Amino acid sequence: MNIPMSWLREVTKIEDETNNFLAKMTDAGNAVEGINRIGEEISHVLVGQIVSLERHPDADKLWVTQTNVGTETLQIITGADNLKVGDYIPVAVHGSTLAGGLKIKKSKMRGLDSNGMLCSIDELGCTEADYPEAPENGIYVFPNLDVEKYPLGSDARIPMELCEEVIDFDVLSNRPDTNCLIGMAREAAAVYDMSFELPEISLQEKGEGNVADMVSVEIADTTRCARFTARVVKNVKVAPSPQWLRRRISASGLRPINNIVDITNYVMLEYGQPLHAFDISTVAVKDGKHGIIVRTAENGQKFTTLDGTERVLNDTNLLVADHEKALGIAGVMGGENSMITEKATTVLFESANFDAANIRQTARTLGMRTDASARFEKGQDPNQPIISVNRAMELIELLGCGEVVSGVVDVYPRKREEKSITFDPKKINSLLGISLEHLSEENICAYLQRVNIKTSKTSDSMYNAIIPTFRADITCTADLAEEVARFYGYNNIPSKHTQAVHGEAALPGAGKTLRRRRQENIKKAMIALGYNEAVTFPFESPKVFDKLNIPPDCTQRNAIRIKNPLGEDFGIMRSIPVNGLLECLSRNFNKGNETAALFEIGYTYHADETADLPKERPYLAMAAYGIEMDFLSMKGDMESLLTTLTNRPQVFEVYECPFLHPGRTASIAVKTNPNPREAGIKVGYLGELHPAVARNYDLYDPKKRVYVAVIDIADLHEIAEAYTFKFTKPHTFPPLDRDLAFKVREEVSASALEEAIREKGGGSLAEIKLFDVYRGPQVGEGYKSVAYALRFRDHNRTLTVEDVSKFITAILQNLEKKYDAEIRA
Amino acid sequence: MTQVIEKLNELKQQIEEKIAAAKASSEVEDLRVKMLGRKGEMTLLLKNLGSLPAEARKEMGKKANEVRDFVQEKIESARVRLELEAQNNALKSEVMDVTLPGRRKPQGRLHPITNTFSRLEDLFVNLGFDIVDGPHIETVYHNFDALNAPHNHPSRDEADTFYINDNLVLRPHTSPVQIRTMETRKPPIRIVAPGQVFRRDEIDATHTPVFHQMEGLVIDKGITFGDLKGMLEIIVKYVFGEKANIRLRPSHFPFTEPSAEVDITCYVCGSGKSDCRVCKGSGWVELWGCGMVHPEVLKKSGIDPDEYSGYAFGIGIDRITSALHGLSDPRLYFENDVQFLNQFKGA
Repeated sequence: MNIPMSWLREVTKIEDETNNFLAKMTDAGNAVEGINRIGEEISHVLVGQIVSLERHPDADKLWVTQTNVGTETLQIITGADNLKVGDYIPVAVHGSTLAGGLKIKKSKMRGLDSNGMLCSIDELGCTEADYPEAPENGIYVFPNLDVEKYPLGSDARIPMELCEEVIDFDVLSNRPDTNCLIGMAREAAAVYDMSFELPEISLQEKGEGNVADMVSVEIADTTRCARFTARVVKNVKVAPSPQWLRRRISASGLRPINNIVDITNYVMLEYGQPLHAFDISTVAVKDGKHGIIVRTAENGQKFTTLDGTERVLNDTNLLVADHEKALGIAGVMGGENSMITEKATTVLFESANFDAANIRQTARTLGMRTDASARFEKGQDPNQPIISVNRAMELIELLGCGEVVSGVVDVYPRKREEKSITFDPKKINSLLGISLEHLSEENICAYLQRVNIKTSKTSDSMYNAIIPTFRADITCTADLAEEVARFYGYNNIPSKHTQAVHGEAALPGAGKTLRRRRQENIKKAMIALGYNEAVTFPFESPKVFDKLNIPPDCTQRNAIRIKNPLGEDFGIMRSIPVNGLLECLSRNFNKGNETAALFEIGYTYHADETADLPKERPYLAMAAYGIEMDFLSMKGDMESLLTTLTNRPQVFEVYECPFLHPGRTASIAVKTNPNPREAGIKVGYLGELHPAVARNYDLYDPKKRVYVAVIDIADLHEIAEAYTFKFTKPHTFPPLDRDLAFKVREEVSASALEEAIREKGGGSLAEIKLFDVYRGPQVGEGYKSVAYALRFRDHNRTLTVEDVSKFITAILQNLEKKYDAEIRA
Repeated sequence: MTQVIEKLNELKQQIEEKIAAAKASSEVEDLRVKMLGRKGEMTLLLKNLGSLPAEARKEMGKKANEVRDFVQEKIESARVRLELEAQNNALKSEVMDVTLPGRRKPQGRLHPITNTFSRLEDLFVNLGFDIVDGPHIETVYHNFDALNAPHNHPSRDEADTFYINDNLVLRPHTSPVQIRTMETRKPPIRIVAPGQVFRRDEIDATHTPVFHQMEGLVIDKGITFGDLKGMLEIIVKYVFGEKANIRLRPSHFPFTEPSAEVDITCYVCGSGKSDCRVCKGSGWVELWGCGMVHPEVLKKSGIDPDEYSGYAFGIGIDRITSALHGLSDPRLYFENDVQFLNQFKGA
């Protein structure tokens, strides 16, 4: 909210330097977003007077002036046609600066010296709304300049009231009372511990008759309208407002329009109360009075607001109407049919209180947030409309724009009374951590008094606090504590480190859960394997299913939808882990990064009708391309990871996944016991990205293939938890190594061969290592030659060649029998 | 007898010459075998001493042993010298260019957001806090109602918060974890809840719809605003260093009262330079919100506000991370460009 500093100073009498003032206001919770110093950049623009005026000898459109700026008379050339000798004008002399930082220097125009520039309001950063008397295309001429007060050569900004410091205060959502000049003035007075009284309003009320005889008000919907007051002004003369009022309105961020509109806006800025003015001749008469009814609209009712737009209303929208028609949308915008025009002679002023939530909803559904609705939707004090409408009448009289009729119609069905809170001041001490010595009961009451909260002692320990009606945010002792703290100073409250650092014994709990620790371990293992951690959005486009080749009827497509996403590209919650990483890889790939290996720990989200919340399942996803990345690299990384985390044997089997290469995809299982027949628990899958999917992600390069792996962390956690073990003593007797080499058909898998070896290897076969696979002319088409290194060990003795030879024979026979292996060595 | 002595001297001289000429320890070894071995010349010569008369034999024996010891010593020292020489030559020939690049294993990095989280988690675990999680998809009750947010509070608006349906939202803050904690634990409570949060902000140079927070909640008998201040000072100095100071400004959150915004001394200019982009000349940067847990929030979660009090804070992780690394565009956190990620430390 923008407040001109000069206005605030006028109301509060605060003389402190602005930066000090703002620092104090900030410490009390009224933060400053910024300061706009209007007119600050303009310099050396002086009050001048035209002494003579002649046509330029060599240019039809230019004038040569002699302009008196007090200390000297300057020759200045101008193109404006609105000047005459004797006019007082703003003169930018040599070395001056205008709005936008424009520098003015001596120059020659068509051969003649021009020692400066005569200024229009445009060059001073203003518009016609600020100075309606200014000519459309021409130099600004001071109307009725008081030369005694503003002599020639003095700063021209001063008589124009051009300069202003405008403070942009950040208004807290629970403090709508501070969203106006008077509210901030109250805060300022509290900060400086000065008294603050609302300015007294005095009226002459010269208008004929009494409002009560002219206007009737009926509130049909008292839940949405707590109060409606009306006053009337006769013999209205619509005209521009005086300069001081226009300057304040303009500095506050509104546009000056005419005296009537400006007065309603001025009171809104001053008291926070939106007012509305109707041409009373448009309000239908019933029983001899202009009859106002506050009621809701009908569904589908059409109404044209004063901006000329036709609105379609519903039965929750509140209207200010007469007995025949709607006149305005309550608290939002008036109607075109009742607006003030030049023809208006008698004007009805509305100052009312409407329900915040209702105004908010109306403004939202109609898509029209106005200055009025913005204030109403934050909540207004229903006790303030009467002061505000009277202040408007005072301004009407002050500006001479009409005759105020005496009396006011004030319908106030739901009166807001002052609330009282019983509190124990010691509770405030203990909540804030300030001792009685530094904050006594008297101190507390004095701080509360600063914000107009009256206190009285009710018993030995308890007090009663009476809260002004404009402070609806204060409802309990904690709220009172905050008020006390604001003026005691948050930064003066002593910090306590003892409890935090030494404290009592640590509370029960393990700090980090095992689950969290395991996730940390996964991350550490992944970076050791060379993968960078990625973080992606958990919402994505429903197009991911097509991009990932997911079949149309697959249940994975049943993703949770966001009702109000940031566009369709973020419309669903992730149900498959890989999309985010693939998009990241694509970005890396298309930026020319040679290698990218990423992992992410994230969640997939799945609807669960049986629970209050959807299921969120943690996963680890890996995706990589680049140097030395191929199927076996990724598999090796996966094996290392699973070994680090579980140290259990793993089983990889042929697997199908719609977005992976049909011949290069494996499921991943982890065994929970050493039984060779146990298939293990499936924890995930890995494989090469399907080329069609790679194309969908703009990630296709046959020489740089993409590999993907996914692990369900919840499953993995269960396995890791279940695995407990007793250690076995390391071998002390030396091992006996034997190598085997044989030829088998291409399609016999490594895991099948390993199993056949293990089957007959006996209890002392400790390790099986595949160390060579050879294909070529010597082994023939469709065959491969494989070589294994076997290591035998016994805990009780040194094994001899004879000990293991019977096992070797059995292994070879088994390989021959099962897979037609042809022994080579 | 003189013959024998002459012969010994001759052998001695021969050996000395040969040792001097030897180029490898193997030559010296050969010489040793040739002279002192079982069939060596000197051994044979000494064997013949047996035929001499006892007197002469004793004298000769003494002389012969002297020569043999001398020779043995010569041979041994030559062997040591030559072996050392050989080793030195080998070392010289094996000189490497130590500036050649090492054979590296690729090294990954934790995401900078994770780094900030784990740094803070270490602090809080050491201070006796438990680290807890909460769901990303949260009920309106836990996210708003139980946190005392009025029904018309702007944060409930569909323009600000993502809704799944009328009862479920994507949590816009980690504060609902406060409620879940109070529902399941009895005071004393001391937790932090790190995690992702979601707000309906369009993606631009200063906003992403996903970001990260760490909620803190402490509830016990006699917890005061002073405890909160002390904790904030610890956190800020731990993250930004001893020189960092905080300022608290009164503010408003529905679930705390009194509420405060925490500002720290500007981490860019330090003092409020008028042209500082970050603090805009004020010398202070807004960090995060905090306050004393609102009595209504305690009540709704079954904790008696007359008996217990507490404080809560919500640390903005992305902002801290950006501050620590001088980063201004949060979109970089979600692009996951390895050129960006590789700049950070591994752990």
